Amino acid sequence: MTASASSQTSVSRWRRYRPDQQWEAYLFLLPSFAGFLIFVAIPVVASLALSFYNWNLLSPPEFAGLENYSQLLTNDRVFRKVLFNTFYFIVTIVPLQLAFGLLLAVALNQGMRGLEIYRLIYFMPVVTTIVAAALVFQWFFNRDFGILAAAIWELAAETGLPIRPPDWLNDPDWAKPAVVILTLWKNTGFTMVIYLAALQGVPTELYDAAKVDGASPWQRFRFVTFPMVSPTTFFLMVIQMIGAFQLFSEAFVMTQGGPAQATLTIVYYIYQMAFEFQRMGRGAAVAWVLFIFIFIFTLVQTRLQRRWVHYEAGGES
Amino acid sequence: MRPEAAPGATFNKGHLLLHAALILGSVGMLLPFGWMLATSLKSPPQIFTYPPSLVPNPVVWRNYLDTVQAMPFGRFYLNSLFVAVSVTTLQILTSSLAAFAFARLRFRGREALFLVYLATLMIPFHVTMIPNFILVRYLRWFDTFYALIVPTAFSVFAVFLLRQYFRGIPVEMDEAARMDGASSFRIWAQVIMPLSGPVLAALTIFVFLGSWNDFLWPLVVSNSNATRTIPVGLATFRGQYNTDWHLLMAGSVIALLPVLLVYVFAQKRFVEGITLSGMGGR
Amino acid sequence: MKIRQWQNRFSFKALIVLAFAALLVSACAPIAPADDGGMAAMDDEKVTITWAMWGSPSEVATHQSVADAFMEENSDIAIEILAEPWGDYFTKIQTLWASGDSSVVPDVLFLSPIVNYASQGVLENLDPWIEASGYNTDDYWPSLLQYGMYEGSVYGFPRDIGLEVLYYNIDIFDEVGVPYPDETWTWDDLAAVSELLTDVEESGRVNRYALGMEGGKWMIWVMQNRGTALDDMRNPSRCALADEGAVEAVQFFKDMLDNNYFMPPANMSQAGGDAAVFQSGQVAMIIQNASRVSAFNAAGMNYDVSVIPIPADGQRASAAGGAAWVMSALSDNKDEAWTFLSWLQSTDGGQRIYTASGEILPALQSTAKSDAFLNSGQPPANRQAFITEGENARMGRIGYFVEWSEINGSFISPGRDQILIGEVSVPDGLAAICEQVDAFLADNGFPK
Repeated sequence: MTASASSQTSVSRWRRYRPDQQWEAYLFLLPSFAGFLIFVAIPVVASLALSFYNWNLLSPPEFAGLENYSQLLTNDRVFRKVLFNTFYFIVTIVPLQLAFGLLLAVALNQGMRGLEIYRLIYFMPVVTTIVAAALVFQWFFNRDFGILAAAIWELAAETGLPIRPPDWLNDPDWAKPAVVILTLWKNTGFTMVIYLAALQGVPTELYDAAKVDGASPWQRFRFVTFPMVSPTTFFLMVIQMIGAFQLFSEAFVMTQGGPAQATLTIVYYIYQMAFEFQRMGRGAAVAWVLFIFIFIFTLVQTRLQRRWVHYEAGGES
Repeated sequence: MRPEAAPGATFNKGHLLLHAALILGSVGMLLPFGWMLATSLKSPPQIFTYPPSLVPNPVVWRNYLDTVQAMPFGRFYLNSLFVAVSVTTLQILTSSLAAFAFARLRFRGREALFLVYLATLMIPFHVTMIPNFILVRYLRWFDTFYALIVPTAFSVFAVFLLRQYFRGIPVEMDEAARMDGASSFRIWAQVIMPLSGPVLAALTIFVFLGSWNDFLWPLVVSNSNATRTIPVGLATFRGQYNTDWHLLMAGSVIALLPVLLVYVFAQKRFVEGITLSGMGGR
Repeated sequence: MKIRQWQNRFSFKALIVLAFAALLVSACAPIAPADDGGMAAMDDEKVTITWAMWGSPSEVATHQSVADAFMEENSDIAIEILAEPWGDYFTKIQTLWASGDSSVVPDVLFLSPIVNYASQGVLENLDPWIEASGYNTDDYWPSLLQYGMYEGSVYGFPRDIGLEVLYYNIDIFDEVGVPYPDETWTWDDLAAVSELLTDVEESGRVNRYALGMEGGKWMIWVMQNRGTALDDMRNPSRCALADEGAVEAVQFFKDMLDNNYFMPPANMSQAGGDAAVFQSGQVAMIIQNASRVSAFNAAGMNYDVSVIPIPADGQRASAAGGAAWVMSALSDNKDEAWTFLSWLQSTDGGQRIYTASGEILPALQSTAKSDAFLNSGQPPANRQAFITEGENARMGRIGYFVEWSEINGSFISPGRDQILIGEVSVPDGLAAICEQVDAFLADNGFPK
């Protein structure tokens, strides 16, 4: 399905499977696959089965056929709102996070002194528990007493200008960006670290050769760094997209999905359905509709990756 | 590896600019954290005063003592450490083996199986939690460390990350080893794994972090203090009516330390890096 | 080289063999749960009752002292506390129940709302137990026990009555020079005083709001003005929020917000919640239940309470409701569970201890009117306000049927947000809510 390799020299070899490696491969897979089967695959299949039942978790499930799905697609205004919100978060969070992460990683991969401290600082948000972080941001965003607003009010008082801080979490138009900001703050360090690790795999020789050829720093980035970390970029795109599709805690703690469902995400809706409205089956149905979306996105990405993802570094150059 | 300049390179304009930008960003990154820290050292009436202050006055060190005494904190801490270390070890072991097969071995159904792996990542935990719980109860693992560790020891995320990295390692490396008669297992252990230091370091951090901060699953499968973990303990500071902000923040600061420590040690490997040229002819 | 280090330090084969052995052993030989006061058997003679509730560490300490007092009186029963964080308590309890295993479901639990569980048959019907033991249910506040009932039978005993009163900051009232609230206050009085209490800076920043209240409590205004959310809160046939009384009440609330008299509910929760803004003087009054008393006393605040102002021709409408203790229908030790449950809900037992902790208004009138509550020697001075509200408390703040959570969560609350933010006018917003709620009711076969 996915492209195995794009390196011209080895494409044909890689496509074929090798009988002598068949059993060996299964042995390598066994530890992971055994656990995967029991603790990942079985529950996932069970959740699919649940989506065809009505279940309030307390009394026995009742078979409902496709009712959960048909309700969802034809008669659920909240679901449509939730889909829109989720797409908003995907198109904002994923590209910004990738860009900031790569930028930071490249900047911090220089041979300059004192960069360790930045590597620590930019990673600290990742380490913080989301609950504490979201509560802090919640207060930051407060229009009357928060620290961001305080600065703007101060400015307004000093200059006499009629400026007002945005009413971040009380205004549907501002609540979404607030969630995006929190997510970026929290997760950019993650992207940065993965990129930093990837940058270590780029052979120095490539940069040396590029320098000899008189490549500018931008050209070195564009033609050496970028292609060399492209497998990682692909990985991050897929992972971040899944992450953005499944955005939950940030909204759960900071905005409780509000105001007026402006930050209600798909997974938040699933949580509400399953555990607040006691409709586990409906929640599972939402999850599987979500699955179809993500799966299609991922398939498209794996198709597109052939055009820009460069595997097996060092094999050429 | 240091692609741009040798250590000790002199500062130039570009570097100063870079530092300026990085410092500005750091302020933004640290501000929420600063408020967390300040709150953890304030008395409740000080916390929400206006204008907001990042300096606790007076400094209430007692909050930390109160936090630790409000629950069997030490016990929870050890539980969390034990779970996180176990999960990290198991995940890296199982995932690196599987990732090796996906990246380096040619077998029937490879891409299809990988897609199945990936697909399961797309189902949110909230709907698989109950099947998982029923499974764990069936195994009679409820309220044991098995329930906390084993179901989380198999990670698609880790397999995916490692597979991507392994595929970036030149095939010539294993082919040379194979010529010398090395088995796949030896190649995994002695070629691929040693070459993957940076990504293994990154993965260690993330797996440890994920396990350390995990909330919902540990909440559901642990009942007694013997198996309770830190995030579940800290969550009790958010009550139905009152939130003990100062204690919650103090607890969060204490909880942050081990992960930060792991990071500080692991991050050295990102920059140490690995020079492929040094491996030539092996 | 690094390769050698890996080679020398670890024998990977051995490590993997070990890991597998560990996995296999754990899978084949399940061990008993780790025991540290856990689920394992205690003394042979003692019956262990597991008792689940949510709570912060200080609340759990109170629960523990209740359990200890009970065990002292009943040496043959051991109580094992299962305290969970408030945030995901219900997620956990539902998951435990979903497994259908009596060994993991607690015997006695703290639950809310009762009807969601009672209607699914997972709670023990307490009627036979009440009858057999002669337990006195008349002592509960009027209509409070309704909260623990389903189809005419009692399934849970509310521990306390969560009715609200008006807390006010005496220092701020004195500083501004306005009279303290009393029983004669109407909405007009509230508005007039709020105008004086609100403090807006020149820049437009509000330095102090007159009053703060959680958004979820908005129905108090509607019910005071003789309105209701649904025509029948047990078995509704239509949404009643677009009716005149409700529209008027919501308009009042909205006007108070627009004038900066009331703090916007979302802003208040961002700023740390009503307790935080009240303590830091960012609001002069809050509307809340008795849960704040101990925190304000601990902080040494100068405050008192009063009844909530009502419209000129309105009615008092504090909520008769509160989380209740229930018995699991799966319990293996129902006799002991009942002994504990009935002790919990007696003036000499649990009620007294909880009341003394200063966080609740007890569910039993005799406890509330005893010295334990009325003459505790602690602020607030005007505890009579709680009694007055209690005697007039009414049910109807929430729906007493399963689908209420969804109606409220998916339609009413988001619709209310839109109105309060000002995206729609009050009549239009309420009409829109009702349109959605009515459609939902029709789809789900109401009235049943």
